Amino acid sequence: MKRPLHSSRVLLIAVALTFLGLFLLLPLLVVFAQALSKGVVAYAGAIADPTAWAAIKLTLLVAAIAVPCNLVFGVAAAWAITKFEFRGKSALITLIDLPFAVSPVIAGLVFILLFGSHGWFGGLLREHHIRVVFAVPGIVLATIFVTFPFIARELIPVMQSQGKDDEQTALSLGATGWQTFWRVTLPNIRWGLLYGVLLANARAMGEFGAVSVVSGHIRGLTNTMPLHVEILYNEYNYTAAFAVASLLALLALLTLAGKSFLEWRQPELRHAARQSLDRTRS
Amino acid sequence: MSIALRGISKQFGEFAAVKDVDLDVPTGALIALLGPSGCGKTTLLRIIAGLETPDHGHVLFDSRDATLWPTRDRKVGFVFQHYALFRHMTVFENVAFGLKVKPRRERPAAAEIAKKVRSLLELVQLGWAGDRFPAQLSGGQRQRVALARALAIDPDVLLLDEPFGALDSQVRHELRRWLRRLHDELHFTSIFVTHDQQEAIEVADTIVVLNRGRIEQIGVPSEVYDLPTSAFVHRFLGQVNELPVQVRDGRAFVGPIDISNSVETRAGAPDKIALIRPHEIEIGPEAAGWPAVVVAVRVIGPIVRLELCAEGQPANEPLEAEISRERFEGERYDVGQKVGLRFRRWQVYPASGTAA
Repeated sequence: MKRPLHSSRVLLIAVALTFLGLFLLLPLLVVFAQALSKGVVAYAGAIADPTAWAAIKLTLLVAAIAVPCNLVFGVAAAWAITKFEFRGKSALITLIDLPFAVSPVIAGLVFILLFGSHGWFGGLLREHHIRVVFAVPGIVLATIFVTFPFIARELIPVMQSQGKDDEQTALSLGATGWQTFWRVTLPNIRWGLLYGVLLANARAMGEFGAVSVVSGHIRGLTNTMPLHVEILYNEYNYTAAFAVASLLALLALLTLAGKSFLEWRQPELRHAARQSLDRTRS
Repeated sequence: MSIALRGISKQFGEFAAVKDVDLDVPTGALIALLGPSGCGKTTLLRIIAGLETPDHGHVLFDSRDATLWPTRDRKVGFVFQHYALFRHMTVFENVAFGLKVKPRRERPAAAEIAKKVRSLLELVQLGWAGDRFPAQLSGGQRQRVALARALAIDPDVLLLDEPFGALDSQVRHELRRWLRRLHDELHFTSIFVTHDQQEAIEVADTIVVLNRGRIEQIGVPSEVYDLPTSAFVHRFLGQVNELPVQVRDGRAFVGPIDISNSVETRAGAPDKIALIRPHEIEIGPEAAGWPAVVVAVRVIGPIVRLELCAEGQPANEPLEAEISRERFEGERYDVGQKVGLRFRRWQVYPASGTAA
């Protein structure tokens, strides 16, 4: 039986939808409209521009390094936290959340302080002719830092709810730790893992603050897509700026689609997502 | 394989889960570790499996010290209460797991594995379910898959942690009988943990009653049931009525009933309580015993449970008596009827044991 719509409900829904349209849907539409405002040719031209192309490639490269690094770290951390008892466990959990807590700009500055020419390791790096800050390694490091928590945070609740029985059964059946991980643990967490990778990837490609500090904004060399968009925008090159931005927006839409697909596949992820949301809020 | 525990202790933070336990499990035995939650029974089982390491003491497998052996080298089949089936594998793959993870030179050929898995599935009456996933099976079926999986590695010992705890009573009853039969056929050494005295009595050869990390009593089921050595065991293995023992003029009484021949009656002897099981109370005509009033009658299948308010006893603590359905049909006790009670058997314990 359907309940009749009360006026207060209608009002609330209307308010929510208006806000959604105004603050979420409209900007998205504006991005694509601006990008295509001078026609498809101009759009294609803006993306084919060598500096834009370099930014796209750099962004993909950074994500391709940062995401696997965090994949390994996230799985290892979640595994350790959920399957073993050890001292300093709660400290580790808090540390994992650190990148969520600090502003990305500060994250960037930390790397300047560490690896910049006047930083702690600056002299050492110069001696060996290694550039970290204002170069690709710095961008990769900053990106790893800001995307650090995503995968671990996604996996911890999933693995916690699954408990240790499966692993202990596998061990009692004679499996090695390695076999247990590949044959039992990993298949159990695969959807959660994919979900975490998706979120980490979206953040890795879209990160602005931390990367902006360490990049040095060298066109065609150390500009990622978000930085490139900003430069183009500051040069009043709106079409090109929005063309590159539209690619990022497209990526965001794909991420959302993938996320919904995974949630539909694995209902418990929805639960995990809600839990991690609750945690960030509290 | 025989198992021996020598002076096993295990502490979790402030909580002493197991305190200085010695236990011998002979080859082929079927033993129940019985006790309330928190008594250390599961910890003991996990120590035998190598899933926990004891703080003190030794675990001997056929008199070899296995205390520090990793779980995977112990050849123990472990069955969890919640089955712990690998949900992404079919039933067949679950059972085959222990064979497939063997090092290459020990691993049987694929055809051989398939043959063995099929025969195990037949054994647990699930030959038809090989291609199913665990989620498609009922609780009882899942637990049978877990058993088949544990048996696949030809374990020397089978350890079961509350194996039937998550099942409804009908299925539980069937599985108990089935486990007993399986054990009689295959003769492996089995230890199972339960908090259900019925289950322990029905299935095990030997019952080990645990309380607060220590062994209270070890014995065959009838022995622990009929001759409990402590009030705790007496209470834990079935219903009991507890009555204070009064000493007057050098004689001991429960109510007006003289039990002096079983109790020390000298002056200054510590307070005692008498524990009487419901079926040990005999109900007769009012004049022939301790006067009491029937306050409730409940027919439970073949038995009838009566609540009786005995003279001089607090009204909110009625005694419980059980008589056979046949007896009841003959006598027809009604609520409010006056009767006389006698005790067929009783056990007396120091009253300080009440806290246990």
